[in-house]
Amino acid sequence: MLRSALLACALAFAAPLALAQVTIKIGVLGPMTQPQGEYHWYGAEMARDDINKAGGINVGGKKMQIELVRADTNEHQSIPDATNAIERVITRDKVDFLVGGFRSEAVLAMQEVAADYKKIFLGAGSAHPQLAQRVEKDYERYKYWFRITPVNSTDLGKTLVGVLGSVAAQIRKELNKPTPKIAILAEKAIWNEPIIKALPPVFQKMKMEVVGTWQPSALATDVTAELAAIDRAGTDIVFTLLSGPVGITVGRQMGERNMKAVAFGINVEAQKEEFWQAAAGKANYVSTLDTYAEVEMTPKSIPFVRAFKSRFGKPPTYTAGTHDAIYLLKEAIETAGTTDAQKLIPVMEKMSYTGAGGVIEFTKGHDPIWGPGKSTGIAVQWQDGKKVAFWPPQVKGMQPFKLPSH
Amino acid sequence: MYHLRRGWAELKNEIFVLPSRTLVLLWVLALLALPLVYDDAYVLRILTMTCIFAMFAASWDMLAGYTGQVNFGHALFFGAGAYTSALLSKDLGVSPWLTIWAGAAVAALVGWGVGYLCLRLRGSYLSLATLAFPLIVLGLLFAFPGFSGGELGISPVRRLVLTPTQNYYVAAVAMLVVVFGLWLIADSKFGIVLHAIRDDEVAARASGINTPRYKLAVFALSAAAAGLAGALFAHYLRVAGPSTLEVALSFQVVIWGIFGGVATIYGPVAAVFLLYPLTEWLGSFRAFGEMRLLIFAVIVLLVLLFMPRGLAPWVRDKIETQCPRCKQRNRAWQRLCRLCGAPLKAGASQAKVPRAERLVGHQ
Amino acid sequence: MLQDILITGLVNSGVYALLAIGFSLIFGVARIVNIAHTAFYMLAAYCFYALLVKTGLGFAAAAVISVVAVTALSVLCYRLVIEPVREHEAAVLIATIALALIFQELMLLSFGGHYLGIPSTLEGSARFFGVSIPYQRLLILVVAAAMLGAVWFLLYRTRLGLAIRATANDLEVANLMGMNVHRVAMVTVAISVALAAVAGVVVAPVFVVDPFMWLAPLVTMLAIVVLGGLGSMKGSLIGALVIGYVEAITVFALPAGAYLKGAVALLIMVAVLLARPEGLFGVAFEEER
Repeated sequence: MLRSALLACALAFAAPLALAQVTIKIGVLGPMTQPQGEYHWYGAEMARDDINKAGGINVGGKKMQIELVRADTNEHQSIPDATNAIERVITRDKVDFLVGGFRSEAVLAMQEVAADYKKIFLGAGSAHPQLAQRVEKDYERYKYWFRITPVNSTDLGKTLVGVLGSVAAQIRKELNKPTPKIAILAEKAIWNEPIIKALPPVFQKMKMEVVGTWQPSALATDVTAELAAIDRAGTDIVFTLLSGPVGITVGRQMGERNMKAVAFGINVEAQKEEFWQAAAGKANYVSTLDTYAEVEMTPKSIPFVRAFKSRFGKPPTYTAGTHDAIYLLKEAIETAGTTDAQKLIPVMEKMSYTGAGGVIEFTKGHDPIWGPGKSTGIAVQWQDGKKVAFWPPQVKGMQPFKLPSH
Repeated sequence: MYHLRRGWAELKNEIFVLPSRTLVLLWVLALLALPLVYDDAYVLRILTMTCIFAMFAASWDMLAGYTGQVNFGHALFFGAGAYTSALLSKDLGVSPWLTIWAGAAVAALVGWGVGYLCLRLRGSYLSLATLAFPLIVLGLLFAFPGFSGGELGISPVRRLVLTPTQNYYVAAVAMLVVVFGLWLIADSKFGIVLHAIRDDEVAARASGINTPRYKLAVFALSAAAAGLAGALFAHYLRVAGPSTLEVALSFQVVIWGIFGGVATIYGPVAAVFLLYPLTEWLGSFRAFGEMRLLIFAVIVLLVLLFMPRGLAPWVRDKIETQCPRCKQRNRAWQRLCRLCGAPLKAGASQAKVPRAERLVGHQ
Repeated sequence: MLQDILITGLVNSGVYALLAIGFSLIFGVARIVNIAHTAFYMLAAYCFYALLVKTGLGFAAAAVISVVAVTALSVLCYRLVIEPVREHEAAVLIATIALALIFQELMLLSFGGHYLGIPSTLEGSARFFGVSIPYQRLLILVVAAAMLGAVWFLLYRTRLGLAIRATANDLEVANLMGMNVHRVAMVTVAISVALAAVAGVVVAPVFVVDPFMWLAPLVTMLAIVVLGGLGSMKGSLIGALVIGYVEAITVFALPAGAYLKGAVALLIMVAVLLARPEGLFGVAFEEER
């Protein structure tokens, strides 16, 4: 009697131990003290919990649970910290896969380490085209890299043109202006150089008059000089290409000046929930491209955003793409029946995965393919404290775009 | 056989007489022997970065400690070396083994330029002016993104060597050579002149020393060492970006330098070897890893309160004492000076005559 | 465009002047290069934010409490951290850097790395010569002028100011004359940080608040103070005007080069230093022999 009880106890202890050995370890790399890293972790956590609750990943008949390894890369402050972190999770924690990354300079360095150790690295933060160019140029070395979110910055240009068309049409109709005036306000950076170069002829073809290009620093805390000049020129659309905190400054100062122009473009800070408060409630009508919203881009979009909001209290931004990344990985592993990177890569290259932001299929450079019905992103506008999605207009849940009323 | 005996005599009379020198010898041996015993790639990576930063910190001390030109923009030289080496090896296809020297040379040139601009500046004016240079260069880098890669920097940069162990040895050997070289320079007649310039430049000039030439030379030398560190950094991480020119990096090296003890060369090296792995180790803890910069700053503050002259001088004072008569350093627990026989502490007995120990070389 | 430059430049200079006088004061008197000066500015901004947004206090009350709290903290830091190592200039230097880092990390841990916005004390804007200026900016100008006036009054019309100037001039003789130099130094630190805190409260609503907001103003402020001459109030004021206008001109004249305004300002500083190694009105400290 006592012996069988002891045996039962031993088994009870041994069973979870036995299970604990069969886990798939995924390293989540991000600047954990910053919002971007937080979202990396949240997205991954939610994916892990949902998958594990449903039984785990089926690897060729064996069910394995996911174990996450959280690694603070401190990317904002130090590139070597990021490479130290990725090396640590690979050699010490022995992860099988990596997700995350944000600051492009850091992701480039981390990509090298992942390539050295031949570990699959799914990017969920940097939009820099160079990451994909490396895969094309030196496939054998860099093939382990796949970008899940966001769409790369060159493709974002295509989305921008699409949305701009409908915004310009609205201006023509409501303000009775046949040639809207457009000012380019882009932070000085290399990611938007190709877009800035390609835009003016496109704008002209769309029958818009370009009044000028202003390029403050991404960290600029004051753009009054730029906005004063833009205002003086009678601008209707301020076309923004901003990824740094200057986005907040632009939103706030445009609101404080009561500018007649509407801001549209890429404004990464405006994608965050905290943006309204950061701009002290002044950034009405600011619009930007975004990735997730409660609209039906795919059947998974609305459930994902709702579940994320109810669990973490705020809606996801694009770095929560780690969620899609892990699910995509799960699908690939279950299709291939193995966790071996060499066998997974061809499977992933051929996959068509329906994520929460769009349908993910990969180019030769392992970037998400851009296109309607695939991955394009959406456009959102801040209206009275709420972030409202307005593009693509035909998708269920979209609301109309609003022009500043004076 | 003769050489072995002479080698042993040198060791006994030069190195083992002083605990600090023994420690240094042990440290060098440990550094060189480490991969043979423990070849965890992660640990090797940390130590490789430590060696690179130690070289960087030692070069700062050369400039700030010995000539009193406290440089708040030392990252400029680091970045100059990194970018030069990266550009040459990537765009012109030159072998990295050659470009790192080019990186050091360009950094030396930049150092000379900065030194020239700062010749008439003194004290805090010089420090704050040097703060400006890396930021101006950063602006220029962003202005020519096609050439410099903008916020991304230059990548991929070619590797020097492939495996973690090889990288470690390259960094460690380079560091040892550079640091000892700098130390020898600092400890020579050249170094004495530098001390004179720091303590009273007017008096030095009145004595006939061509101070601008010395100041420029030190700027160039210090910059060359920093540039070499930067080049090795770029080839190791395979990225040479604007993070190599950041204010934070300049501040970091100032902290290492002063924490370790200015005007010692080995002080900042010790500081880097202590603080960098420590902060990295703190960072690996899930619980408070995100507080590591805070803990680092608190440690620096606390240690500063107890050792205001820096870590190395404090440690050295604990294990060695200076003879009041002949100024030679002795082990702290000795009672009589090893050279002149004077009692090291008041009240020590005069009866014993010590064995005269042969001295080879200088103090 | 000329009016834009004139007015924008003036408004920006007000911000810089507020930060620069405090720093210049502490360097002139205590010979401390206080790298943590803008970090105190940041602390005041966060304190103001927390009181305003989290506890719903009025602007005036929140402002006063923030300034007093940060000033008190600075005196504490001075006593605990700086005073023990006063003789070692190098140690003081990294002590202030370490303090700044500690404040940064504490703010990062308490408030997170998000960008925060502080509501403006005064809403709305006025039009001067066709240029629209938000009232908050005018408030900054007014406060800067008031602070400058107050500091001038303190230094030149009160006994405490006399003591401060005396210790700045020659520390040892002042000590011999019976002034309590330690207390004077502490008071100077308090005044200097109070100025930074006032700047934090008035200026922060115009900029975004995050734990790293102390680095950029630090560089600009150092440039101004060096340009004007360390230890000279007049120099800091003129330096602030110069840098404010240089930045405005850069942005208006070169829209595509707006990101260069910081680098241009620093270039001007270097140029001035080449011509006058002690800044425009700098006090050359004779080395004690």
